[in-house]
Amino acid sequence: MEVIRTENLSKTFRVKKKEKGMKGSLQSIFHPNVEKIRAVAGISFTVNEGEILAFIGPNGAGKSTTIKMLTGILYPDGGKVEVLGIDPTKKRKELAYQIGTVFGQKEQLWTHLTPYDNFRFFGAIYDIPEEEIELRIRELTDIFELGELLNIPVRGLSLGQRIRCEMAASLIHKPKVLFLDEPTIGLDPVVKENIRTLIRQMNEELHTTVFLTSHDVGDIERLCKRIIIVNDGRIVLDDSMEHMKLSDMSLESTIMEIYKAQRRENTAL
Amino acid sequence: MRKYAVIYVSVLMENIQYAGHIAMGFISYFILIFVFINLWNYMYADPGELIAGYTKEQMIWYVMITEMLWFGARSTTITRQAAADIRGGNIVYLMNKPYHYTLYILARYTGEWCVQMPIYALLMVVTGTLLVGNIPNFMPVTLLAAIPCLILGITIHALFKLCISLLSFWIEDSNPFQWLYDKLILVVGTIFPIEIFPESLHVLFKASPIYTVCYGPAKLIVDFSPEKCMEVLAAQLLYLLAGCGLMFFIYGKGVKRLYVNGG
Repeated sequence: MEVIRTENLSKTFRVKKKEKGMKGSLQSIFHPNVEKIRAVAGISFTVNEGEILAFIGPNGAGKSTTIKMLTGILYPDGGKVEVLGIDPTKKRKELAYQIGTVFGQKEQLWTHLTPYDNFRFFGAIYDIPEEEIELRIRELTDIFELGELLNIPVRGLSLGQRIRCEMAASLIHKPKVLFLDEPTIGLDPVVKENIRTLIRQMNEELHTTVFLTSHDVGDIERLCKRIIIVNDGRIVLDDSMEHMKLSDMSLESTIMEIYKAQRRENTAL
Repeated sequence: MRKYAVIYVSVLMENIQYAGHIAMGFISYFILIFVFINLWNYMYADPGELIAGYTKEQMIWYVMITEMLWFGARSTTITRQAAADIRGGNIVYLMNKPYHYTLYILARYTGEWCVQMPIYALLMVVTGTLLVGNIPNFMPVTLLAAIPCLILGITIHALFKLCISLLSFWIEDSNPFQWLYDKLILVVGTIFPIEIFPESLHVLFKASPIYTVCYGPAKLIVDFSPEKCMEVLAAQLLYLLAGCGLMFFIYGKGVKRLYVNGG
């Protein structure tokens, strides 16, 4: 069953440009120079229930913009998007109850509160009944081994501990799809491996569909069965991990080669 | 509503930790009030004299109440924070939850002033009673009507401040508009009651947020009358409806223009 479907999804940003110096500043007041940047240029793909998909690409490729359109935060300029049969642009709030998001570079937890208070907070935000919240906190505490961290204010946790809590908080409402944007960024190899194990475990036990963006090949290699590479707002590869591994080169080298080829193509244009 | 109540309680829990810091802010309030006490002592030559219909005690208490509203309701959440969320793109991480962003900000703000305001109110009552004496003809029972008006005034103030911050969807910096609004409220309704100004301006002031935000609630405390109370309450309800409509309209239009590039 398809949980995500996009057809010719596109998004263009308008970026103000200014010539250098005072002259440029004055000019920008009377004749602002606005340039259009096509962040996503008509991408189409589907994701099936229970899949762990790697959605990768170099910086500025359009990964985060795509996630933001899938979660209803940004409005697409063109094309269609459906997540769990819901159009995120029209029913963002309804969709929010069924998806979870973890942005590795952004905190969603309230830092002055303890993880326990945060979980209760997010439980209430997602309209979960009181008695169910307690049960869910116990479940997540077991899965993510948070027992000793529950009563320490989040500001006192290490990055690895915080990411574990972030993931647990994003799962409090049992989302059907989890969007992970660089979940292991800045973590040491041991913690990274723990997080990967937890994502796999969550996928197996809760059948959560995972949409992962990461620059870490280890994340992709250990977790994903399918990979989509985007560059310059377009999909340049959509293949199974099994097929990718048939190549003589390592996954990292293969991805690097694809990035370089794309860069050469862009320069030639 | 439960989720907004939880946001409110969470902010309340955070702010209670800083109650001591909030009380320290009372020093600047006290200096300001001390200046006004001396100013009005100089202006009122005779003890029973009336200026614009106010006795000296009423006039000083009026300033003390409006300044308490000004200090107790100030917050960066509805001004700089909301504008920075929009300009910096942090809003996208707040929008992907099943709540309305504007109500989330208002719930946070309410959690903030609910800690600040009672501290300022307590310190104001102590200072006022010691330095000025009681409000003439004041009956504590009138607070039952005046306090809801005071809360409505703070909420209306927050709605308009947030509307200005939401302009950040279109403009680079909403601070100049915040400054203009603040100065209007401060000069016309906070430092002086509107009766001080020429009569021809009263109609204009009564139709502005000044009447519902600071003048109305403070006037009800220093010089209560049931007619005035009904008048203020009716104006506040109209402003509340208009403010909510404006806020949802600006947000609905603005969020479609949201520009957040990068991860």
